Amino acid sequence: MHIMEGFLPWSWAAFWWLLALPCLALGVYQLNKVLKVDREALPLLGVTGGFVFILSSLKLPSVTGSCSHPTGTGLPTICFGPWITSVICAIVLLFQALFLAHGGLSTMGANIISMGVAGPLIGWGIYRALRDTRVSMFITVFLVCAFADLFTYVVTSLELALAYPAQVGGVGSSFVVFMGIFAITQIPLAIVESFVLVLVFKYIVQLRPGILIRLKVFPEAKIMAARVDA
Amino acid sequence: MLRRYRFEILAIIAILVFCALFVYTSSKMGNAEFAGSDDMGSAQISKITGIPEEQFHPLIGQWVPPSGEIESALFALQAAIGGIAVGWVFGYWKGLKEKG
Repeated sequence: MHIMEGFLPWSWAAFWWLLALPCLALGVYQLNKVLKVDREALPLLGVTGGFVFILSSLKLPSVTGSCSHPTGTGLPTICFGPWITSVICAIVLLFQALFLAHGGLSTMGANIISMGVAGPLIGWGIYRALRDTRVSMFITVFLVCAFADLFTYVVTSLELALAYPAQVGGVGSSFVVFMGIFAITQIPLAIVESFVLVLVFKYIVQLRPGILIRLKVFPEAKIMAARVDA
Repeated sequence: MLRRYRFEILAIIAILVFCALFVYTSSKMGNAEFAGSDDMGSAQISKITGIPEEQFHPLIGQWVPPSGEIESALFALQAAIGGIAVGWVFGYWKGLKEKG
């Protein structure tokens, strides 16, 4: 999902940075607040953020004959919301821009928006819609992780299509072409990632249900029921 | 037993299916390079604009790992940082739980 350094014109790079900055500011503000209220949130942040680090470093082969990496943003989205997730992503993307030449400083705004804001926002929407229903916690986690990952690549495609509309068919046909490169490759990766993250979430529920209850990640009844069941 | 470990089983099956898909595609698609989709995106940009890829210069100067080996070392470092965080926290939580 990285847009390489130099592959966005200045105007678009600045536009996405301008969108990303308020998200990051809100994320930093929320992060301070959460950590002040409950120090036990820090380990949870470590686990969920740690998986973003691990998963976004794994470039996996896909059925399209190309490689791409999962995002891992579903778990922090569920536990902390999209804004704090955008801060985690910004740290990962900065590391990759500085040391790996994956993405870049000028395109980082666009990459933060796709990986750290747009994907997590879709995931957050699914999570909020399902949290208080009878749908299983684990199915909710699965769906959030899968769509946060997939939608990241849909938005990357959109960002590139907006900057580079095709001569025939404009933004729309460009979007379809980029979707073919990014989103199709991503489908199997998103599914595998989600199975793994559901497992991670199960371990968090087993080991430390208290913090999930205090942060109101899921209703207490659901978390306690899952503990007995798992 | 099966119900208790259902998520472990599902994750293993998902990973195995994923590996099988990879073996299948890499044997069927003889010319598949398994290049990064990021690079394919860049190639597509140069196709749409008609500007060769080499003419896209970084807007902000960037250090590029001098070789694929160094790049993969740094990727491994990134995964290790994440792995340490995850392992540390799960160990901490497990210790807390056993202490009561």
